[in-house]
Amino acid sequence: MSRAYFWRRVGYGLITLFVIVTFNFVIFRVMPGDPVSLVLSPEFTPEVKELLREMYGLDKPLHTQYVLYLKSMITFDFGRSFVTRQPVLGELLSRLPNTLMLLGTSFALNVFIGVWLGTKMATRQGSRVEMGVTGISLFLNAMPGFFIGLLLLLAFGYYWPIFPIRGTMSVPPPTEFWAIILDRVHHLILPVTAVTLSGYGSWYLYTRNNVVGALGQDYVLTARAKGLTQREVLYRHAFRSVLPPIVTLVFLSLPGLITGAVITETIFSLYGVGRYLVDATLQQDYPVVQGCFYIIALAVLVCNLLADLVYGLVDPRIRLR
Amino acid sequence: MRKLLTFVVALSLLVSGAAFAQSVQWDTKGPYVDEIILPIIMDQEARLIALQRGDIYVLPGLTQPSHIDRLMADPNVDITVSPGYHMFYLAMNMRRAPLNDVVVRRALAHAIDRDEIILSLFQGYMLPLAEFVPPASPFFNPDTDVAYYDPELAKQILDDAGYRMGPNGIRIDPRTGQELREMTILTPTMEVAPTSAMLGVMVADAARSIGLPVKAEPMDFNVIVERISTDLGGDRDFDMYALAWGLGRFPTHLYTLFHSSFDVDGGDNNPGLRDPEYDAAAEKVWTPRNLDEAMEAAYEAQEILSWLQPYVPLYSRPYMDAFRKDIVTGYVPHLGFGAASSVSNSIWTPLNIRLVNQERGGSVRWVLEQEPGNLNVLVGTSAYDARIFGLVYGPGLIAAEPVHNEDIPWEAERWEVGTWTTPEGNEGTKVTYWLRKDVTWHDGVPFTAHDIEFTMEYLKAQRVPKYQAAWSNYSHSEIIDDYTITVYFDNVSYWHTYNVSGFLAKHIWENVPKFDEFEPWKTPHPTVPGLTMMIGTGPFVFKEYVVGEYVRVERYEDFWAGLDR
Repeated sequence: MSRAYFWRRVGYGLITLFVIVTFNFVIFRVMPGDPVSLVLSPEFTPEVKELLREMYGLDKPLHTQYVLYLKSMITFDFGRSFVTRQPVLGELLSRLPNTLMLLGTSFALNVFIGVWLGTKMATRQGSRVEMGVTGISLFLNAMPGFFIGLLLLLAFGYYWPIFPIRGTMSVPPPTEFWAIILDRVHHLILPVTAVTLSGYGSWYLYTRNNVVGALGQDYVLTARAKGLTQREVLYRHAFRSVLPPIVTLVFLSLPGLITGAVITETIFSLYGVGRYLVDATLQQDYPVVQGCFYIIALAVLVCNLLADLVYGLVDPRIRLR
Repeated sequence: MRKLLTFVVALSLLVSGAAFAQSVQWDTKGPYVDEIILPIIMDQEARLIALQRGDIYVLPGLTQPSHIDRLMADPNVDITVSPGYHMFYLAMNMRRAPLNDVVVRRALAHAIDRDEIILSLFQGYMLPLAEFVPPASPFFNPDTDVAYYDPELAKQILDDAGYRMGPNGIRIDPRTGQELREMTILTPTMEVAPTSAMLGVMVADAARSIGLPVKAEPMDFNVIVERISTDLGGDRDFDMYALAWGLGRFPTHLYTLFHSSFDVDGGDNNPGLRDPEYDAAAEKVWTPRNLDEAMEAAYEAQEILSWLQPYVPLYSRPYMDAFRKDIVTGYVPHLGFGAASSVSNSIWTPLNIRLVNQERGGSVRWVLEQEPGNLNVLVGTSAYDARIFGLVYGPGLIAAEPVHNEDIPWEAERWEVGTWTTPEGNEGTKVTYWLRKDVTWHDGVPFTAHDIEFTMEYLKAQRVPKYQAAWSNYSHSEIIDDYTITVYFDNVSYWHTYNVSGFLAKHIWENVPKFDEFEPWKTPHPTVPGLTMMIGTGPFVFKEYVVGEYVRVERYEDFWAGLDR
């Protein structure tokens, strides 16, 4: 990959970012309602609404708001939430660890279980085990995430109450270091299981289908004819050929780690980004949605760029061009 | 049979509301417990499980019939019921034909079967409401001539007014000779509020049964709000909609929801009621000289509204709060506010709750359904912020007792309301408070008249939106001595009595230049270790808020109404 290509991609990325940022500003302002009129209370008189508009800066002309908005995006000072009056960046950063912990762990498990199981089952195509695993994976993949979460909550929080049902720590929390770690892990088991169960299926199916396809290719037949072992054929030839799209998918999925898992966060009362973003969107909390979507857009662009770079590393054909 | 069941359920709710007048035991002294921990549990199902497995002991605000049934079947759970200050209603756009005709509005009101709605959608766990003030309020006028369910009368009213039934089952408009146009009821969607969406369908069916062509149109909540509140040069983009109001202890909503001055962009007179006679009554509700005048005006306003029918009130939600009765006792249902639903309006359960096996001390776990937004008392507006504020700041100068909501002295031993002449020559209100001398802030500094003067001046200087009603007519204060103060307002209104407060500790807040950027709960107290700047005069001291997890408050040792005082 040439340097010129790299900078061209960065340039395209910046243009895309500008377009996203502008849309981000416009979309929330053309949506019905506004953050002030959404508060319904008989005590919320037109005078109070006017005071709030002034406080939020919504009384300024739209072009002034846009300039201030661009400035805030460039400086990463997203201002204060309309609803909580807390600095947006601070709230976002304080929620990110829980979201990363939940989604990072389950993402790693999803990829590992899905790819490993998919590769294994591809070699046993048509067997009872493969049909069973595929059936279960399809079933879990099709089940709504909230349903799995609620089932786990009922099973292991109520009927067999061996796991905590809320948060990331006991109330009050333990004070010893290892007790804190164990407490955290104990609290994460149910939500991580819920996200993993509802998410690994797509990785499994994708990998299995690709490996099955690869196993029917001529070069695999040649490898077998050379007398290579089943393991060598599978991992050095078949699997190697499906690795580049999997790696690309991994990188393209990474931005999803910071957007959060709204339903799981709600069911297990996790202080995460997903719920924050959804609440802010519903309440038209401009500073929050603008800040969050900006970060997400940046993450998507950076990950796309990384995917391009890493693709070259895992696929020699790309590296040579 | 179904009607009988509805009647029995509604009656039992009403009776339980009235019955607690005799059975409620409460004391102004407390608290009994050493601390209250408020774990944050966002999911409804998880909250129920947490209560049933003993992770929490107090679960406020039950609404779903299936949840209520489940907890009622649990021998360890007790559910308190208090009629609430709440109104779910159908609003009609009086600017548009045919809803600009009172005959059509009244006919529609007579066509709606509230009992059927409550039984079908809520299994009876709501109270039918036909009036514009809920029965829990002392300002409720029981003699109002309201439009009860009577579909035959509804048809008769339309027939008598010349709205004869057309060949297609749609009535003919006597003014145009044409079939009435199709009207829509806006409701939230099935996904967001299933009962509201289904209610819209039921009301539309009822309207069609008397020949009014009405259909329900569920849509996004934000779109509804935009359409009902945006002034389009004298009209608004709706025929009817179904939503709810949370109301207060005083009937001031009769002014802010129906006075013609609120039929403006952003104002809440969405139906567009413009009636001089009603305006006069509503103005008296807004600016009464005393409670008797307020009562008289509220009665008159309700009678006029019941005739003009800008809304069809449908039901009122009772507050249903669940407690682990095998673990805690002493909870106090408060008329209009529930036992645990609105701590900022009712301090009685936090003061009186105690462990079953321990007369004093111990810890109570009281769930928080959402993350607090902001624990700065000038900024935080959510119900969850308010729960913490209620514990830390208490009722203020005047409290409302739980049985009849009558005033009782709290931080003010007594008060006197009078009038004065403003420099402009107008008549204004003045309220003199004689404060208790044993009230202290949580850092031990005495609570005095200077704090009240500072609070009122600060609210006005900073133009704090949340307290606009308190400062907008505030003129000045006169400190007579450290424990006596007269507060002056530049208009006449008895409600100013309740607008005066001193919840800002002068020695803390006088150095805060921008109220909305101050984070008192995160800022350590300058002199007292273990305290933050979030100090009040209430029964509990704020100790910690672990973001995403829980809030913890501890009993204030020197609380003026403490058990040992």
